[in-house]
Amino acid sequence: MVPVRAPELAVPASVPYSFSSQPRLLPPRPKYRPRQQANAAPREKSPVHHCNIMIDPRVVRGNVLSVPPPPPQIIHPSTLGVKRHRRAQKLAKRLTEEQIRPGTPEPVKGREHVYVQTELYLEEISDRIIEIDGECQTDEFLDRPPTPLFIPAKTGKDVATQIEEGELFDFDIEVKPILEVLVGKTVEQALLEVMEEEELAQLLSHQRAFAELRNAEFAELQRLEEQDRRIREEKERRRLEHLEKLRKQKETAEKIAARAFAQRYLADLIPSVFNNLHDSGFFYDPVERDIETVFLPWLMSEVEETLQKKILGRTMLDSLIRVVVEKRLDEFRHSPPSDQKEAPAEEPGATDGAPEVSGEADAADEPVAEEEETDQPVAEEQPTDFISSQLEEQGQEATADLETE
Amino acid sequence: MAQPRISAYLPPDTDPTKAALAFGRRALPKLNEELQSPELLTQQRALMALCDLVHDPEKVYQAIALGFLDSLKTLLGHQDQTVRQKATEVLSVMASHSIGREGLIRSGVISALAGLLDDPVDICRKNIHQTFDMLAKLPQGAGGVLQAGLIPPLVLKLKTELDEIQELILDTLSNCLRVEVSEALEAGAVTVLKEKLSHPSTAIRSKAAWVLLEISSHAEGKMAMCNEEVIPVLLSLLEDTQPEVQENSAGALMFALVTPQGRSSAMGAEAIPPLLTLVAEETSKARLNAIKTLTLLAELPEGRQTLLAHRDTFLRGLDDPSEAVQRAAEIAITVIDWKP
Repeated sequence: MVPVRAPELAVPASVPYSFSSQPRLLPPRPKYRPRQQANAAPREKSPVHHCNIMIDPRVVRGNVLSVPPPPPQIIHPSTLGVKRHRRAQKLAKRLTEEQIRPGTPEPVKGREHVYVQTELYLEEISDRIIEIDGECQTDEFLDRPPTPLFIPAKTGKDVATQIEEGELFDFDIEVKPILEVLVGKTVEQALLEVMEEEELAQLLSHQRAFAELRNAEFAELQRLEEQDRRIREEKERRRLEHLEKLRKQKETAEKIAARAFAQRYLADLIPSVFNNLHDSGFFYDPVERDIETVFLPWLMSEVEETLQKKILGRTMLDSLIRVVVEKRLDEFRHSPPSDQKEAPAEEPGATDGAPEVSGEADAADEPVAEEEETDQPVAEEQPTDFISSQLEEQGQEATADLETE
Repeated sequence: MAQPRISAYLPPDTDPTKAALAFGRRALPKLNEELQSPELLTQQRALMALCDLVHDPEKVYQAIALGFLDSLKTLLGHQDQTVRQKATEVLSVMASHSIGREGLIRSGVISALAGLLDDPVDICRKNIHQTFDMLAKLPQGAGGVLQAGLIPPLVLKLKTELDEIQELILDTLSNCLRVEVSEALEAGAVTVLKEKLSHPSTAIRSKAAWVLLEISSHAEGKMAMCNEEVIPVLLSLLEDTQPEVQENSAGALMFALVTPQGRSSAMGAEAIPPLLTLVAEETSKARLNAIKTLTLLAELPEGRQTLLAHRDTFLRGLDDPSEAVQRAAEIAITVIDWKP
């Protein structure tokens, strides 16, 4: 006998069924029936074994939303016998259903069976579901147009309130903070502006100070530059002057040295020049020159003349003697006198000195005379003066003799 | 809904003359597109909004990166004067930031602005000159102004412009002429500046003296100063009532007297007494410059003689709080005591 639930619980569901309990782990269901134990104690569920929730038949499987939940069981659904019973029922039902509907006979030969839809509206049966892609895109951001003026329609009732003087607020007290803020903000803004201007003025004055310093330094720089330039120019000028002075000094020294040297060099120039000139005969005593040029040539020419005369005389004498000798020779040949030969032998010995001079012109001299001439030229040279004077006398005598003849 | 709590945010800025600003990063690109739109009103409103934005350095950086300068350059030639005025204002505010200055120099805005020097509207010209002034404070900016060949037109403008603008021009010139001076001399700057030295306005006199100082720091400038006989005028300015004028004219003299001709002309014009008064005055700003000028004069023999008598003035300068003045006084004493 299964326990019967209380009658109020058997009311058909007007409120959807709900059940809740504290979650607890379900005890496992062993795979095999446990062996009948000897003590045949009522089988209790052994909570030690845990079971997989996926194969737990107690968990509702399948669509839970469309199928109406089974009405609440009168019996507790967890008894094993009931479960077995229900399973058997299900199986029987399935078998009967299958048996009720006979299958279609096999097709006749030559024909084919085709499945055809016979409902009112045909259905396309296909695996593939028709899909259509659609997309949408937001527009580029436009400027938000100005909101149109929205004045909501008047709804509701108008209610008015009358406020008496002094009820709502006290002006004097309320206005203070407002005024404070107003004045404060204005003053603050004014201060900011004034500070900005002051800052600008400070910056400007700072700039001016810097510019002043810069200008002063610059002017100093230029002054020093100018000074430097002047000093450099001055130095340059002085240096050039000094150089000029040195150069002039050097030149003067050189000039002096040159002068001294020239003086010394030319010191004995004059004497030597005079000497040279003197030696080359430029300075002559006119009387001496005169004597030399005029007198002496004349003298020499006179002497020469005289000598020529003497030579002439001697030549004459020679020719005379020759004639005489030839004559005597002829005479001797005819009658050989020996003492007359001695006499002309002295004379030809004496007169041979004279025809030396004329011996050159006289080519018909005898070889005896020539020998005598060669023997006696040395001896004859010395006493030429003496002989010349003798010959002179003899020549004079000969001429006198000739003249007298 | 009104609350008794005071909001921390400023009230909403609903100026109808300004274009609406897009949010965040889109603000400047949108303004750029609006600037290029053909409608005049859009352009004007965009320019007004841009003027306010450009006070922020980050916006300046972004604007330059986006290429605003090209659109602004195109707008400079617009017929409408508001557009031109605002465009020049934007450029002048950009030039007050360092990023803006670099961007302006790189993109060659200087030559574009040069075309507007003869603009009939005063504010445009003033903004242009302000831009030049800020740009010339940078060395590259000064170089850019010189390369754009702006010096001769600026010098010419000095003769004809309004006083405020003349001050700006003088500032620009002073920064540019520090670099190179030949173009200005050819344009006859020294003559123009000599006239300006006798202008009634203090600022113009002092700035003109400053420009002369920069000119005479170059060698050709010194020659020009001697030729144009500016030194006597500067000497008369030494007795001016305003300290800046005194200071600047003493500075100009300081540079001009480096040349021998300058020195002799200064001695001829009796330069020493006013300079000595300037040095003796304890609070004068011109002390440094005056001491330097006297040092230069002391290198001449006559100057040295005269200054030997006033040696104690320089000794007092040694106790001056400013270090530069002390050094200058020491150098002056060394020069005075020098014996050949």
